[in-house]
Amino acid sequence: MSPNTKELNSKESPANAIEFEHVDLTLGENHILQDVCAHVPQGLSTAIVGPNGAGKTTLTMAILGLVKYYGIIRFSSISGEKPRFGFVPQRLVFDRDIPMTVMDYLLSGLQRRPLFFGQSPKWVKHIMAYLDEVECTKLADHAFGALSGGEIQRVLLAQALLQEPDILILDEPTSGVDFKGGQICCELLRKVREKRGFTQIMISHDLATVTAHADHVICLNHTVCGEGKPRETLSHNVLAKTFGLHLGLPDIHGIPQNVQECTENCPLIEEHKHLHDHCNHLHQHCGHSHCKFAEEGENHAE
Amino acid sequence: MLNEMIVRSAELVSCLFPFDCMEPMFMKRAMLGLMLIAPLAALSGIQVVNSNMSFFSDAIGHSAFAGAAIGLLLAMPVNFTMPGVALIIGLLIMGLKRKSRLSTDTIIGIIFSAIVAFGLAIVSRNREASRGANMFLYGDILTIGDTEITMLAVLLMLFLIFQVVAWNRMLHISVNAQIATVHRIQTGVYQYLFAALLSLVVMLSVKAVGVLLVTAIMIVPAATARNFSKNSKQLFYSALAVSYLCSAGGLLVSAQKWANVPSGAAIVLLSCAVFAVSFLYACITNRKAAR
Repeated sequence: MSPNTKELNSKESPANAIEFEHVDLTLGENHILQDVCAHVPQGLSTAIVGPNGAGKTTLTMAILGLVKYYGIIRFSSISGEKPRFGFVPQRLVFDRDIPMTVMDYLLSGLQRRPLFFGQSPKWVKHIMAYLDEVECTKLADHAFGALSGGEIQRVLLAQALLQEPDILILDEPTSGVDFKGGQICCELLRKVREKRGFTQIMISHDLATVTAHADHVICLNHTVCGEGKPRETLSHNVLAKTFGLHLGLPDIHGIPQNVQECTENCPLIEEHKHLHDHCNHLHQHCGHSHCKFAEEGENHAE
Repeated sequence: MLNEMIVRSAELVSCLFPFDCMEPMFMKRAMLGLMLIAPLAALSGIQVVNSNMSFFSDAIGHSAFAGAAIGLLLAMPVNFTMPGVALIIGLLIMGLKRKSRLSTDTIIGIIFSAIVAFGLAIVSRNREASRGANMFLYGDILTIGDTEITMLAVLLMLFLIFQVVAWNRMLHISVNAQIATVHRIQTGVYQYLFAALLSLVVMLSVKAVGVLLVTAIMIVPAATARNFSKNSKQLFYSALAVSYLCSAGGLLVSAQKWANVPSGAAIVLLSCAVFAVSFLYACITNRKAAR
């Protein structure tokens, strides 16, 4: 097989936006992707999880055609052509002293008329609509270099959406953003995705976010350790295989139900209400004798 | 006819500067040359600063020696071998930078030393030529010839067309080339075209200020303009303004009897003074904004 073999085939089942068949990639001496076979369902949100250096970013680079690989990555867009991509990198490192506004930056990728002859009102209006969608119209005339990490992330999301992508790829959109910011970001993405119907691929470290916001998950550690619906896929076995055996990860699959049962049976339900999202909290605070997980919880805590 | 056109435009340009020192023809030609170099240097300077390419332009400047050496070896006019060699070196560096995994600094460092060593080796074998090497080091706008002026004029036209087409995309690429590529901008085409034009701009500006100062006339106006501007449009016009002001001012100052300094040095000194002012201005406005 030759590098970068891409077959564009619209006859494939339209349920899959991307299919990876035996994708293999070596950079220098590192065999980064080893026989990766997986699929990305059309129109849904897919998360790629895995430890650092597992090849998550490299896999997205392969999708985007930025690196050479062996094997087949098959796209099945409706038109049968190569899909349009939108891309939001993990952290934008750039020269923050370049004098330009957010609008300047967004226009620079779209407008033909050079910016020194002025901004085109047509494009400005178009861009404002997208900035509105990611809820940052206020930033349009701010200096791009003066924005915070979260704000830059949103502007980049608007920029990716401006491409009217078939496939939107986000590299750790919630890293460097606090928990609430991450939730808002994921909610926003869901809303926009439902409106526009693109396929979303998101790299993530955060298993809680994945469980809550992804429809499909691919566990990657050089090779695919498991894929499918998050609640079914993120089992002890798969997580141990993906992240290594001795990490002592919580049973993601079990937590939400445990919490629910615990709170249902616990007389101190009102007090415990705010603690439900975290395993440790459960163990530490739910020590009430009526709570059926109290004993188990204490054992775990030790 | 070409000569006549150049003389006419030199007269026209010098009408703007009604000073005694502008009387001699060589001053008028020098002013015309500088008025062509100023926008080239200012605009390419903006993109050099945005994409961290000052070492790149420095290396190109130093390839003047190699260009001269090859001209000497092949008995061809240096006016053509110098830009030719610069063009090849510029494209070579850009190609290696894009393809190789070595850091850009390392790549340029290696090529830089190779071309300088090659140039020095050849030039110093020839006594006459080694005396002429001073001309490359310090430049001399007062002896600018018809060929050089014509080449500058043609280059300026090409360069302005490039800016009209590529200004936006160059800005986009300088923020993040990967995003630009994914979003269907022909990053490679723009980068190679810019490298080619930049090489020619540097080489033709060596005539004005010399190898040692050529990077300064590009970078200082751009850096100054950054301090004065808030958006891309302001950056464009303020860099042009600073460059024109300092080029003309520098030439006029250098012609004064009390000054008696080379024009290249005068231009760069004036630019740096303006930069200092702009720096103060930026400090003050930032402090006001912080309150």
